[in-house]
Amino acid sequence: MAKREQKAIRILIVDDHPVVQAGLTSMLMTHSSVEVVGAASNGKEALAMVRQHMPDVMLLDLRMSGMTGIEVLHALREMKVTTRAIVLTSFETDENIYRAFEAGALGYLLKDTSQRLMMEAIATVHTGRRYIPSEIAARLAERMMRSSLTAREQHILQMLAKGLTNKQIGCALSISDNTVRNHLNSIMEKLEVADRTEAVTVGLQQGIIQLPQ
Amino acid sequence: MRIQRSVSRAKVLVASFAALAAIGLCALWLYLHHPHQGMPYRDAFALGKADEWEAFGGTWVVHDGGIRNDSDERGAKLLTGSSYWSNYVLEADVRLLGEDGDAGLIIRGNDAEQGVDSYSGYYAGLRTRDNGLTLGLADHGWQELKNVRMPEAVQAFRWYRLKVLAYDCHIAVSASDRSHREGGATIAVDNEHCLTSGRVGLRSYSSGGEWRDVRVRQATEADVESMLAKAAEQKLDKAVSGNTDVLLGSGSLPSHVNLEPRPPNTTTQGISSLRLIPSSHPVHATIRGIVTLTSPLLYVQDSTGGAAVVTDQAAPPLKVGDEVRVSGRVEARDFNSVIHDASIQLLWARAPIPPVSVTPSQAATGAFAAMFIEVEGVLSSKERGPQNTLELKIEAGQQSFRAVVRDDRGDQLFPKLKPGSLLRLRGISVVDSEYTHDLTPFVLLMRSSDDIDVASVPPWWNARHIAAIGFLALLLAFIAYLIYSRLERWRSQAILEERELLAHEMHDTLAQSFAGLGFQLEAIRNRIPESMPTILQQLDQACGLVRHNHRETRRNIMMLRAESSQAIDLAPMLEHCALQLVEGGTVAIEVSQIGAPRYIPLRISDTLFRIGQEALANSVRHAQPSKIRISVAYADGSVRLMIQDDGNGYDKSSENRGFGVKGMRRRAAAISAVLEIETAPAEGTRVIVTVPLPPRLTLNTWTGYIWKRLHGGDLNGQARTKSYSHLDR
Repeated sequence: MAKREQKAIRILIVDDHPVVQAGLTSMLMTHSSVEVVGAASNGKEALAMVRQHMPDVMLLDLRMSGMTGIEVLHALREMKVTTRAIVLTSFETDENIYRAFEAGALGYLLKDTSQRLMMEAIATVHTGRRYIPSEIAARLAERMMRSSLTAREQHILQMLAKGLTNKQIGCALSISDNTVRNHLNSIMEKLEVADRTEAVTVGLQQGIIQLPQ
Repeated sequence: MRIQRSVSRAKVLVASFAALAAIGLCALWLYLHHPHQGMPYRDAFALGKADEWEAFGGTWVVHDGGIRNDSDERGAKLLTGSSYWSNYVLEADVRLLGEDGDAGLIIRGNDAEQGVDSYSGYYAGLRTRDNGLTLGLADHGWQELKNVRMPEAVQAFRWYRLKVLAYDCHIAVSASDRSHREGGATIAVDNEHCLTSGRVGLRSYSSGGEWRDVRVRQATEADVESMLAKAAEQKLDKAVSGNTDVLLGSGSLPSHVNLEPRPPNTTTQGISSLRLIPSSHPVHATIRGIVTLTSPLLYVQDSTGGAAVVTDQAAPPLKVGDEVRVSGRVEARDFNSVIHDASIQLLWARAPIPPVSVTPSQAATGAFAAMFIEVEGVLSSKERGPQNTLELKIEAGQQSFRAVVRDDRGDQLFPKLKPGSLLRLRGISVVDSEYTHDLTPFVLLMRSSDDIDVASVPPWWNARHIAAIGFLALLLAFIAYLIYSRLERWRSQAILEERELLAHEMHDTLAQSFAGLGFQLEAIRNRIPESMPTILQQLDQACGLVRHNHRETRRNIMMLRAESSQAIDLAPMLEHCALQLVEGGTVAIEVSQIGAPRYIPLRISDTLFRIGQEALANSVRHAQPSKIRISVAYADGSVRLMIQDDGNGYDKSSENRGFGVKGMRRRAAAISAVLEIETAPAEGTRVIVTVPLPPRLTLNTWTGYIWKRLHGGDLNGQARTKSYSHLDR
């Protein structure tokens, strides 16, 4: 306890809603164990502040104008900084939870979480561990149960994004056209899309594949 | 927004289609009503065709490159062209087939009916009685406009060229003898309040007539001027000659017509008396009668009966209505007589005799053999017979007979005759076996296709029509359903988008404000020293309220976004909700569904879900149950939702304090549902909501239900992709 007081956890708040920003700041400022180094109201600002202040923990809202929370998480990962992110949002759809963790968030909190739990989460994440409340965990498990793409399927989707035809993919992987088509059908089914273009789009959106360099 | 756009796009499509259709109809109307439509016109008599002509009386046959009216009927007319033709020139060769009559052309003719002057239009004709060229206006009455004498007497069987012009209110006619190019007569009048447009026609009065080379073309100023000039020139000539008397003359007759002496009556006998002549030896007899048919066989009829006449002589150009004297060898048959080797004398032209109206049964007795009769019957079949004839098979009660007509002008009529029609037919009743082939009691030989009147068309309710109508009705119903479901889909999509928008709005304002407010309150609470327990307690309460409202708002938002709530699966949705609430605890969830799930309006299913959600939340939070039962029961006029737990229960007198129960009651009242809560401490709680539903078998719910049943798979697929795309947003 004494140690923590000596070195407060530096926190960055990212939320585009001023009431939330203000409330959260006031609340956190009453705790000596944490220090609010800044509050950003959009993704760009947030990344700039990360560079400037190098906060330990970032409390991130998912829905913002401009960059979404998920995009901020992706950018944060690429910046290779030590800042850890906790998603703090009003949303609890399984897809959001899944994608947040996939993008590198270490915690996921709802905005009506009690003060005690929030402080606990900040402390846990600061040490580099994940913090997942039970209701969120249940949702995440539910989402995980839904099939995600296999490595081979991911590979094929990546090739699809490069604009290769079934035949070319088949040649590259030394499998037949039909097998490629089967894989594609399976991909489209899992991503719940109607055609290959949409599969690539969704794949990119979900971060399953990256744009070819 | 997208929905509104697609709706407005559909509106634009419909509107432009309607506009195009209207423009097309207008164009068609203008085309058909154009005063030049179909001009220039030239007849096709040389090809044996006269389909476009419409007869009003007379016996019209296409003959030798022209058309002939073989009847002495007064004022027989044959019309063609468009009633919108206005300024034009009509030219034709005309000849009269008999004395004491006239023949000519009609222009701007309309409203024609059978009868002497039963039309409105201008008539220009050549008349034997006064050797004149006459021009007059017929408007169901006759007004002679002008009359001039031809330079030479007007003669029967001589071709004249007639040219009639109508231009604005200038009406002009000129006539000239075909064989002498020079000379002729011209009339030009300026008719005040003239008829402005109408068809062209051929007309003869009393004499019969023949026409050929009929042409119609647009008239020009030049035509008018040349005609006016000709008329003026002629007036000058007249003035010089000074002869204004009307010369009455009969003209000369062709050689085969023997006018002198008019035969005395004494030598003839009644036709019916011929049958009394024994057939053992040939007898010579002379009769007098009126021609009723000229082709394929000559029939003559007097007041006592009719007879067929066979002659080797070069047949004189006899017309229906001519009075003739026939002498020859008589052959008496069962019902009528035939005169062989006849010599025929044309006495004079008379009006054709009217038919005797008889029933087919009467005709079948043979009493009217060789006579001109009118019968009615139902057409059972039709076919083309030998030698360019049309044969109609007619049924009338027990009787059946055939009617035969020459093909020339029947071309247009023949395809239009529908089996099953009631026809009124006029013709000569023939019982000779060479015509009947002993198949029918008699055969009706008709003079022309104008002797067929359609009294009534066949009834529409035959098997094929009913099948077609049934099919059409099905098709229409299907299309109507498609349109209906399309609209319904648009509508529900629009509602869903609206809800999505609302959810978005609520998230950005209400939920965020509650969140911020909550944090702010916590901040204040943190700064209050522990020595002020009352304030601390009040703040705790405020925090709890804000958190509760935040949760509630979030749930509302989720509810608004849950597009699946349009589906009828209330039970699985509540089960899902319950499982989330218990978070994998030890509470058992039991779900049952009674009756077939049916379509529930969105508002009702929404409310039911909310009430269920609240009841479940209450159970899980406060009652510590070991089991929760969810039951949805669909009945004919209602749906009932029950949430039951075996938990603590509570004292009913205290229920009004809770927000939850109040909210449930308010919600239930909004959809006129009945909410019952049965509970007592330590006895569990049972919440029952019963909602009345609209009657089940309205077209909407019923077809919608069937449709969903049939296409359940498709709908699910759609719902999945939809909810996916929603998540992606």
